[in-house]
Amino acid sequence: MPGIDECLLEAMRLPGARGAAVVDWTSGLALGTVGDSPNGDHEATAAEAAELARLAAEHKAFAPEEGADWTDGEPPVEDLIISNKDSYHVLRFVRTTFDSSVFLHLWLGRSDGNLALARIRLGEMAERLVVG
Amino acid sequence: MTTVEARPLPRRERAEPGDARSGAPAALSPMLSRLAEERATGVLTRERGVLYLVEGQVVHAESPETPGLDVLLTTRGALRSEGWWEAVSQAGAERRVGRFLVDSGRLTAGALELCHLGALYDAAFFALGPSSGPARFRYGVAHWIGPVRPVSVDAVERETLRRRELLHRIWPQPATDTEPLVRAGRAVDAGLSPRQRTVLDQVDGERTAADISTVLGRPGFHTLVDLRRLAAAGIVTARPLTIEHPAPVASAAAPQSPAHPVSPVSAAAVAAQASADPDVALLRRLRDALEAL
Repeated sequence: MPGIDECLLEAMRLPGARGAAVVDWTSGLALGTVGDSPNGDHEATAAEAAELARLAAEHKAFAPEEGADWTDGEPPVEDLIISNKDSYHVLRFVRTTFDSSVFLHLWLGRSDGNLALARIRLGEMAERLVVG
Repeated sequence: MTTVEARPLPRRERAEPGDARSGAPAALSPMLSRLAEERATGVLTRERGVLYLVEGQVVHAESPETPGLDVLLTTRGALRSEGWWEAVSQAGAERRVGRFLVDSGRLTAGALELCHLGALYDAAFFALGPSSGPARFRYGVAHWIGPVRPVSVDAVERETLRRRELLHRIWPQPATDTEPLVRAGRAVDAGLSPRQRTVLDQVDGERTAADISTVLGRPGFHTLVDLRRLAAAGIVTARPLTIEHPAPVASAAAPQSPAHPVSPVSAAAVAAQASADPDVALLRRLRDALEAL
């Protein structure tokens, strides 16, 4: 059964992966990091990504209309995707059976990254991390 | 005619005691830095919590101001209470409870690490908070949870300081961190996040942040963040010490009105805030009481 490090290393095996992290979006704490980070500082990147994740998780506009997950404990958003000229960021919320606010953050090079594949794999990793 | 030079009213302090800007990480606990350097193993006991070290790294932390791993894991059903106690009884003596939870299939390694690491930084934040008492270290003591995911003293201290700044940026008044909480007058915003709403539902005039964290099985720092946001929005405030006696000014300012006995924690918080100058302390309390009406 994988721990944080195994999960991050698996993420790094995705084509184009530059860096990955497990982050708590309430505090902005990086619980684990691997590879590079956009500004060369994993902790600063985690704090910035956490702000974004928090906004997405807390605003009703981004919650599903039906079978509303707008309850405590279930992040209403599955993932966030950001693209820029040379890279992608995928933030995947992790559902846990204890109270938490955790997401996986994967940074991908745009030229060699496969966004669709990364999104699917990251979802699987987020689930395996907690459920096994 | 003589002119009396009026003393300026005290300004609201911008920095909390032990604020990040007032010192380098080493200022958090020189003793802890020294223990890290000598790669010590044992337990550091401070006024507001304990830190367990193995070879100079932090492996576990606990504080009465944040729920322990057992509460975090059992409240929402990640683990049944019997499962927890079975692990403690079977693997506690060998100090391998964490490992046992994973090996017996009760938790994935990921779930244990996420929960334990979150709890570690959380308790460390409180344990390394401003304290007035002396710290002591007992060499050789190990915690029964056993090794999960050790972190460096540096990382823990950096994170603690970052968290203080985060709280300060949200709302600079620390009263909601420790005092019993009440709803303030402001109507509840429909846009309140679910996590904030859950915290708000627990505000009953008696509970403190630590009580709410325990009820919800939520890391204490998360509750502090939501409470400061609710305080900034004017929805929640610390229970004023003497709200029932606004008329006589002297009693409104008295810190220990018999109607509201002050808990040791809140008394410490008040003392930490209070200036050495009794006039300034009095004016501050008056202002806080007036603001809370």
